[in-house]
Amino acid sequence: MVYIVDTALVEPVQADEYVRVVQGEGVPVMTGAGARFVSCWATARDAGESVSVQTVWACADHREWNDIRRNMVLSPAWYEYSNRISGMWLGGSRRFYYPTDDSSRP
Amino acid sequence: MLRRFEIYSIREGVEDQRVDHLVEVFEQCSEHIPELLHSAVGRNLSDEPIHLVWEHSYESPEAYQRYMVHPYHANMLDRYLLNDSPERIVTDGILGDGALVGYACDTPVYYMSGGVRKVVLFGLDGPEGEVDSFIDELRNLPMKDETVELSVVEPNTMGIAWFDGITPILPASQWTHVWEAGFESLDAYAAYQAGDGRMSQAEREGWGPEKAVARAVELHYIVTLETGERE
Repeated sequence: MVYIVDTALVEPVQADEYVRVVQGEGVPVMTGAGARFVSCWATARDAGESVSVQTVWACADHREWNDIRRNMVLSPAWYEYSNRISGMWLGGSRRFYYPTDDSSRP
Repeated sequence: MLRRFEIYSIREGVEDQRVDHLVEVFEQCSEHIPELLHSAVGRNLSDEPIHLVWEHSYESPEAYQRYMVHPYHANMLDRYLLNDSPERIVTDGILGDGALVGYACDTPVYYMSGGVRKVVLFGLDGPEGEVDSFIDELRNLPMKDETVELSVVEPNTMGIAWFDGITPILPASQWTHVWEAGFESLDAYAAYQAGDGRMSQAEREGWGPEKAVARAVELHYIVTLETGERE
């Protein structure tokens, strides 16, 4: 299993909107492309700092990710989704994670 | 072989350090993916709003397909490039579907270990004979102009077949052909550009005299010995 972990920093006032876009546009686009939606978590909106929104997608392996990636970039909806979320980014990261012996597997 | 160019514009305001890291990621790619051949990264010196060109090649479509599914590709390259990655530092740029172009060839006819690379994306149109004549003129440049060390013109087959290198998955590209030429130095490049040959003159006139040229974008960059020799 491969987990794609996107961590985006956004302004606290945009955090709810960001999560709405992930749920409303990102999940249909990404699952339509073949990815599995795992989770979307956010840090506190009222802690006096940027909110970190962590979205996790999953797929079987890099061969499957390559197919998903193709489906993503051939989808106009993916570009619309990407434009929406990227307009709210203050920073962030994308990392691929792989299970270890101690990972609990959902 | 498959010859391939990825062409990028950097988003305004991105720190130099992050751009340098993307360049390093490109340069180190062949250390992780041995299928990658003749990899070199150039910083575009032309007036076009394009900043980086990553040129490279593969022995076969199968080799290219192994590159496509390699974890380094997803982890390191796409981190900076894909539209939905929070670490993206590039923009969609002016080329549209010309951000990825390339062609098939039997041998590494493009190879140079150092010097200056000139890459022109062409949209060629018009009567077949006129297009063929134009292509022949470009291909014959090294025989006519001593500043030109190599000159390759091929149909851009890679752009629409980027997934496996051979199967078109997109409509025909507006960039029908790729021309890449090699020069020993920037002085040699400048001498060619200022020369009185038919192609040099036409380019200075925006390719207007060449009826086969519907559109063109020119890039040129230094290919360093270090990256040019990496195989």
